[in-house]
Amino acid sequence: MPDFIVKPSTLKELWKILPSLPAGRRYLAGGTDIVTADNCGAESSECWIDISDIPGLALIKETAGSLFIGSGVKISAIERSAAAARWCPALAAAIPHFASPSLRNMATLGGNAANGSPCADGVCALVAEGAYALLALKGKKRRLLLKDLFLGPKKTALKKDELILGFEIPKRRHAGAYLKLGPRAYFGISKAAVAVSAEIEGGTIKRASVALGSVAPVPLHAARTSAWLVNKKLSAETIAGASEIVKAETSPITDARSEGEYRREMCGVLLERALKSLAA
Amino acid sequence: MMKDKNPHFSFRLSCLVNGQETEREIESSRSLLEFIREDLGLKGTKEGCGEGECGACLVLVDGKAVNACLMTALQLQGKELVTIEGIKGRDGGLHPLQKTFMAEGAVQCGFCTPGLIVASEALLRRNPRATLGEIKLELTGNLCRCTGYEKVLSAVEKAKKLL
Repeated sequence: MPDFIVKPSTLKELWKILPSLPAGRRYLAGGTDIVTADNCGAESSECWIDISDIPGLALIKETAGSLFIGSGVKISAIERSAAAARWCPALAAAIPHFASPSLRNMATLGGNAANGSPCADGVCALVAEGAYALLALKGKKRRLLLKDLFLGPKKTALKKDELILGFEIPKRRHAGAYLKLGPRAYFGISKAAVAVSAEIEGGTIKRASVALGSVAPVPLHAARTSAWLVNKKLSAETIAGASEIVKAETSPITDARSEGEYRREMCGVLLERALKSLAA
Repeated sequence: MMKDKNPHFSFRLSCLVNGQETEREIESSRSLLEFIREDLGLKGTKEGCGEGECGACLVLVDGKAVNACLMTALQLQGKELVTIEGIKGRDGGLHPLQKTFMAEGAVQCGFCTPGLIVASEALLRRNPRATLGEIKLELTGNLCRCTGYEKVLSAVEKAKKLL
């Protein structure tokens, strides 16, 4: 654990106390990644800034054109949100595969993204949903496509002290799917995961967005596969074609969890199953 | 920053523990599990893996099951904590889950039992008619290396009828 933890109760207070804190500082949201990292010696900040009770970060809010999910919203709260189920079907499909029920009561989407892991289930689904990340650093706010937040394993485009306020998902009716291959049916880190968001009219794909987990250094937006699917009939031939193309977009590694070649092959299989589920 | 000059080094934690108003001056970096076991002396909550994988340390915070090993005590500020010691039947005796776990032989070494009962209690509070499939999903974060789970599942199913 760090030497100490501070817990500002508002964003204003957070920006005010930052200069008084040691340089080795990190945000603490749900804690499920950072405390685990600390326990195994991979995290050694002097100070954590607990943002878990800052009002505004734990809101799910609908506006005319988008759904806002605050960075501090617990995964289990998204599970119970009718708005999230309606506007983010790929994210809703990912949630039962996100860790365990108790970890979903603690973990947040903001933490899932800031941690920068290529296997983050919530992030992979949000990338497919075309989500934007809303970031703040003192008075300055910026908005970037979530897929552009990730630079490498555990590396993000977040500047020092920059905070993820939440995620904005464009409101458009679409179908979604999330399929994950882990070491067991539930509660395991993925070997490969596929998220799909698609608008389908009269059997034709009007818009598609495919994202992949655990098969690249970042949660990957499969741009070529997504573009290839547009204006194609959702037929067996299209599904087979996309499942081949997607494999070429991956750059998986072999590690303790799986082998690179197996991960690549499974991406094709998972995409095939995901697209079939949308066709059904 | 020197400890004695650091206003953030410790804090006054105020919370409800098993129905009792509780206030303690503790270090801000104390984990919730250390607070429960060492400061409060409530040893029913176990430390298994320390990584959120095994569920032996589950407790209820504001009615929701959480892994105490991955939470800080500071995150309990102003909230309600229920540990296995606070799970009781309406008459103050054993809770239906505790009775059925005993009757079904769902306890062998017993290390995972507090976590399993807390997870099951969180589910049955939310959904007293949970199906077998829902019970299985709720217990995905609880490891038991003795029972093979069959007796645990049967105990939770039987407890539903005693609620």
